[in-house]
Amino acid sequence: MTVSFIPGIDAAPSLDNQVGAGATTERPAFAAVVVQIKQTPPPASASQHLSHERLHQIDRVFFGPFFREKYGRGGDKALENDRIRYYGLIQPTDDGGELAGRRYVHEFDTMTGCTRGWHETVDRAGNVRQIRPERNDGIARHYQFDNNGRYRGSW
Amino acid sequence: MHVDLQTVCRVFENVLNGSMSREQADRWAYAVVLEEETGIVTYSPPHERDRIWAGVMYLYGVDTMKAPGEYLHSDSDISAAMNAKLGEAVDSKAAMLLLAVATSSRRNA
Repeated sequence: MTVSFIPGIDAAPSLDNQVGAGATTERPAFAAVVVQIKQTPPPASASQHLSHERLHQIDRVFFGPFFREKYGRGGDKALENDRIRYYGLIQPTDDGGELAGRRYVHEFDTMTGCTRGWHETVDRAGNVRQIRPERNDGIARHYQFDNNGRYRGSW
Repeated sequence: MHVDLQTVCRVFENVLNGSMSREQADRWAYAVVLEEETGIVTYSPPHERDRIWAGVMYLYGVDTMKAPGEYLHSDSDISAAMNAKLGEAVDSKAAMLLLAVATSSRRNA
């Protein structure tokens, strides 16, 4: 992706210097270089604004190198609330039951720079059946869901 | 913080031989992840960074339970992950440990 940036600054020498009352009318031997700042017009219409989807794409590309390698080997997803979730690979379990394994999910808020993470246990159908957030107090608490996503309880 | 491949191997081994709890291994890995967020973790050897990180990320959450008092991962899950993540870094001593775990699992089955 290439993001082009058009600066609104032109550098040009100017001879339009204001002179004081005591100044002579003689033209100076040199003129100072004055940087004139060009007014950048606002977008003419709403169609020129980037769509939310496009912003998500840019966020994913921009922040990807920071997080994807570490936490997003299993993929990533831009959310509507300006957050990006990075999914780790599923670490399999061989318990022979309905659970397939667990993965670590890392969420980054592109507006605030805050991050949070949790461990998800997923079943063989790909449903999240349990999450274990990383809490600041260090207490591990598991929150369980049934295969329809309904909350069942925690311990 | 400095993390080397042998240290990660040792944490796996300690979990498997019972000298370190899974909860302790999880907190050790979490400490590495926290330090990594600040960008001051060095990996040794540097070219093994990916394998070290894969091992750390496995250990982070290794104490996840599927029911109260029942871990999600069996010992054979962990030994298989150790092999897969760390590969040839697993020395012969660890290989013996893996064999013992596998034999024990078969006996218990």
